[in-house]
Amino acid sequence: MKAIEVRELRKSYPKKIPLPFRKVQWVEAVRGISFEVRRGELFGLLGPNGAGKTTTIKMLTTLLEPSGGTAAVLGHDIRRDAREIRKRINLVAEGERTLYWRLSAYENLKYFARIYYVPKSEEKERIEGLLKLVGLWERRDDLIMNYSRGMKQRLAIAKALINDPEVLFLDEPTLGLDVQSALFVREFIRKLVDEQKKTVLLTTHYLGEAEELCDRIAIIDHGRIIALDTPEGLKRLVKGEDAVEIKVRDFPAEKLEKFPWKLAVVKENTERGTVTLRGQVDEDDLPKVVELLVKSGSRILSVEQKEPTLEDVFIKLTGRD
Amino acid sequence: MAIIAVIEKEFRMFFRYPLRVFSSILVGIVFLLQFVFFGQAVLGGRYSQLLASSTGIGDYPTYALVGYVLWWLSVSPMEAYVWGIRRELQRGTFETNIAAPVRITELLLGIALSWLIMDSLLMTVVFAFGALIFHISITFSILLKSLPVLMLSFLAFLGFGFIFAGLVMMLKHIGPFAQIFEFSMLFFSGIFFPLGVMPGIVVEFSKILPLTHSVSAIRGIFIGKSYSEIAPSITWLILLVFVYWLIGYAIFRWAERVTRVMGYGGY
Repeated sequence: MKAIEVRELRKSYPKKIPLPFRKVQWVEAVRGISFEVRRGELFGLLGPNGAGKTTTIKMLTTLLEPSGGTAAVLGHDIRRDAREIRKRINLVAEGERTLYWRLSAYENLKYFARIYYVPKSEEKERIEGLLKLVGLWERRDDLIMNYSRGMKQRLAIAKALINDPEVLFLDEPTLGLDVQSALFVREFIRKLVDEQKKTVLLTTHYLGEAEELCDRIAIIDHGRIIALDTPEGLKRLVKGEDAVEIKVRDFPAEKLEKFPWKLAVVKENTERGTVTLRGQVDEDDLPKVVELLVKSGSRILSVEQKEPTLEDVFIKLTGRD
Repeated sequence: MAIIAVIEKEFRMFFRYPLRVFSSILVGIVFLLQFVFFGQAVLGGRYSQLLASSTGIGDYPTYALVGYVLWWLSVSPMEAYVWGIRRELQRGTFETNIAAPVRITELLLGIALSWLIMDSLLMTVVFAFGALIFHISITFSILLKSLPVLMLSFLAFLGFGFIFAGLVMMLKHIGPFAQIFEFSMLFFSGIFFPLGVMPGIVVEFSKILPLTHSVSAIRGIFIGKSYSEIAPSITWLILLVFVYWLIGYAIFRWAERVTRVMGYGGY
């Protein structure tokens, strides 16, 4: 049995509240996606903001009603067996305000243990174990409002493990974290899969994170899955096509759309006025690209050939950074 | 039980800030004093013949104190749903709760019950203060006799408030809409003046509000009426418990279906 099975899943949102006798327009957020996640797998949904990642997670965690298609989590239909699914999964939602800031870490976990029906006999031990696991045991009585962003996210992960879920959904778990906290979270997620054999479905728009963590990745854009494979498999899509990174100054980004090559802005330093462009460009075309950049008023600072990464796959498939 | 966990959580967050508790009691007392002194100024004293002949209670402070405290408690579940859930939506914690296997109705009832219990504690202080300031004599037997009616009233208030639980989940911002109801009840339930002075149509309309019957029954107990004498008010209350719970639940189920299409989160 697969941990997650998704077939032609669709979701449209109404532009207004669909009250009786009110004509409303609908916006398609997810347009028929299909994928499977194996047990014990770390599966990534990678895509830009607004691609449909969070909507997909919300449907799979039974928070949103799909508009079409089917999906099953641990063999249970997401429409019919919401309560059964909720008992066996958990979620780290996007954003930092998913816990009660006026409660301490211990009080938060105690509350969630109760609403996840953790047996009373196991409650104390489980909370202590989780707080130690995420390194917050010494600060267990502090109110969350006094925690740093990274500590809050560690606690959110502890909360997501309170019912010992078989499948864990992580929606942008490192968003807005400092480098050290993000590193802790990434290592922790990998350990959950390797050591505790959890199944994890993770959404991210950080390409490096997906490449480093995931066993398989589905690239999602405009509500559709445009590629699905292992990180290595995805990189083979651009095999033999070396990537070029061009660092320029005074580059008018709007002109990029008119370029006949798929280049994307991968780094921007507004203080220095520099921009780094990346994409697949043939050796023969490189002088033309440089010429066009110079004509557009930019100053070329450097041109480098790079090994292809997931970023290049993404740029190739979507044409965007 | 999950509902106990919700109540415990709400209590912790409310009583963690003593200033918040103090300010809630102060607001309750200030409004009470204003209403009572205003009433007495209009009447030219604390006793009113009109009140005595139409309601049985001629003493204005007693009349107003009972009405005021019950009004406050009657709007408590409504406030809990409207502002309590709105706060959860703003915090971003609502979805985290919904994602748990606990029933959503249990979560919502937990919030409403905790607010009702907290308001009951605050109003006990306000009531005791009012009784002391205005020299209102209360016997143990009055309090004891009032309790079953009070419990029945709470059931009716919770059912009436439940109508708003689904609406706030779906529409998110219904505070102003709920306030219309809250103040309408103050006006239409004979809290500060007898309903007898109102046009007949208003008197008829007031009968569909649980507060009207709750206030009438408790005031009856205060002037020594027996349960059989206040039976019409109790019968109305029992009827309204069923009516409002049914309406509230039907609206809630419909609103929940719509909300699952639109999403619980986001404010």
